Amino acid sequence: MLIYAVRRIIATIPLVLAATSIVFVLTSLGGDPVTAKLATCTTCDASAYQRLIDLYELDKPIYPQRYLSWLTDAVSGDLGVSLTQGERPVKDILIERGKNTFMIAIPAFLLIAAGAVAFGVYSAVRQYSISDYVITGASFIGISMPTFFFGLLLQFFVVYWLQKTGQKFFYTSGIHIDTFTEYIKSASLPIMTLILVSLAGESRFQRAATLEVINSDYIRTARAKGLPERTVIFKHALRNALIPLVTVWALDFAALLSGAVVTETIFAWPGLGRELISATFAQDLDLMMGVTVVAIFLTVSFNLIADLLYGVLDPRIRFD
Amino acid sequence: MESWTRGSALTEIKVSETALELAIGEEITTEAKSLGRQTWERLLHHRLAVGSGVILILLSISFWVVPNFSPYLFDQVAAGPPRSAPSMSHPFGTDPIGRDLMVRTFTGGQYSIRIAALVAITTTLIGAVIGAISGFFGRWVDASLSWITNMVLVIPALVVLLVLALRYGSGPWAIAFIIAALSWPRIARIVRGLFLTFKEQDFVQAARAAGAKPARIMFRHILPNTFGPIMVETTLNVGAAIILESTLSFFSLGVRPPTPTLGNLMEAAKGAIDSRAYELLIPGAIVTLISLCVNFLGDGLRDALDPTTKRSR
Repeated sequence: MLIYAVRRIIATIPLVLAATSIVFVLTSLGGDPVTAKLATCTTCDASAYQRLIDLYELDKPIYPQRYLSWLTDAVSGDLGVSLTQGERPVKDILIERGKNTFMIAIPAFLLIAAGAVAFGVYSAVRQYSISDYVITGASFIGISMPTFFFGLLLQFFVVYWLQKTGQKFFYTSGIHIDTFTEYIKSASLPIMTLILVSLAGESRFQRAATLEVINSDYIRTARAKGLPERTVIFKHALRNALIPLVTVWALDFAALLSGAVVTETIFAWPGLGRELISATFAQDLDLMMGVTVVAIFLTVSFNLIADLLYGVLDPRIRFD
Repeated sequence: MESWTRGSALTEIKVSETALELAIGEEITTEAKSLGRQTWERLLHHRLAVGSGVILILLSISFWVVPNFSPYLFDQVAAGPPRSAPSMSHPFGTDPIGRDLMVRTFTGGQYSIRIAALVAITTTLIGAVIGAISGFFGRWVDASLSWITNMVLVIPALVVLLVLALRYGSGPWAIAFIIAALSWPRIARIVRGLFLTFKEQDFVQAARAAGAKPARIMFRHILPNTFGPIMVETTLNVGAAIILESTLSFFSLGVRPPTPTLGNLMEAAKGAIDSRAYELLIPGAIVTLISLCVNFLGDGLRDALDPTTKRSR
């Protein structure tokens, strides 16, 4: 397995290089920081212009020269500086915003994981019952609703409640983390939105996986030898039914950690996703690349973790 | 002696068959049905899918018909007082520059459906061709195409969408192609998997033995077998595209006003949820309804195509 892991890591290197190249070229083609900076700067003169050109090597071709110089810096740990935030190192920004993202991503992920198993298994065990239809229907609505619409709906309900009763249980935007109560009040709506995005899909997935296991021969055997249904489901069925979900979990977790662009924008939560959006609009190349690299890195590594876990959980899968 | 036994056995069979016919009360007939016909019949028994299909058709018709009967044009400024609440003359109210929101919503639906259909068709074509070539030829062709597919999957989609939309986007066509350029890997993977299994089967061997060229085997022999799953994916892609279009619009990167889409109508309304929430709720509900129906239809189609499904829901 170690050899497999090493081989996989080596195999992903060209993938990461190609992916970052594409994003780098696209972002560089999207516009150059000099024009963006000078549009908002009234006192800048030619020397400031020249300094930016030197900083971003704008007089050199985008590919491969500029990409390679970005890459060599990045490999040695220097992700550049953010132009729109007073030339603050991108690494510092990523760490700070990353913490904020973690604060909503981790609770959201735990709730999604637990909820998906609970709803998925329950509706599979009670297939075609009223509760199965309710869960299935709710999942379908969740899958069909645009994330930002759900987020705005939540805000709408909070505002409506405020107008009706004068009480405001949740903050509709911004981050407030001085006390735990404040944290709950400001993080609840973003977390709820994040949950909706993944829970609906994962519940459906878990339901399908559980149904497949429940209808297999070894479960019939377990029932035939007189085991109580509880033991059959939780000790025999669940173990196998959880395996396919591990991959989904890993990918969702990576996506959550690399920042939920839509959710963070709606609730003005200063995380990685929102940073990506503002960097994109401001043509802040290094910052954009920084967030993108974090996203690509997380996706690739969690993909690998999922594949390795798959082998640990399911001995029928061999790495060779 | 021998002939007698045989005769009686035949009579017995005859008798029992008549008995069976009598018992059921009708003649036993077995009519040969094509797979497509069977699927269609199973789909018709799927009430949710049929209902969703009907709603989708009615909605689409209304998107094209209603604007023709409205006394206002979708880009007619000052068709009524600005920011007016829903009333008889403006059932969905008016926007800040007095445009009638009902005609804008239905015209917006028209554009959203057009974009979604274009995305679904383009995505299916790119995905199916890449998946087919990848699965059929295998070896280095497969390795390199799979690598490209994986790369598109690894790149954060929204980043590319944002950058491309900033640079090229604003027209409905540009938006559709940008969305399609990032949505094809899913269908490519599915088609690749199907081709991998089918190309080992006897009918392909037979076709090859008969001297069929690869292109003929791919398109005439294998491709028809993959129509089912491809149709399911195409259906689901329509829903995904409508959601993606509205998400791009949410970041002001979608189709630009005055051309309305359901997405940019929601974007225009997002600042007014405390006073004129209906401006957001109406297009939002329509997007959700379209996407919900598309998902139900896709699910029904998947069940109908799967001969092992015992019970249709």
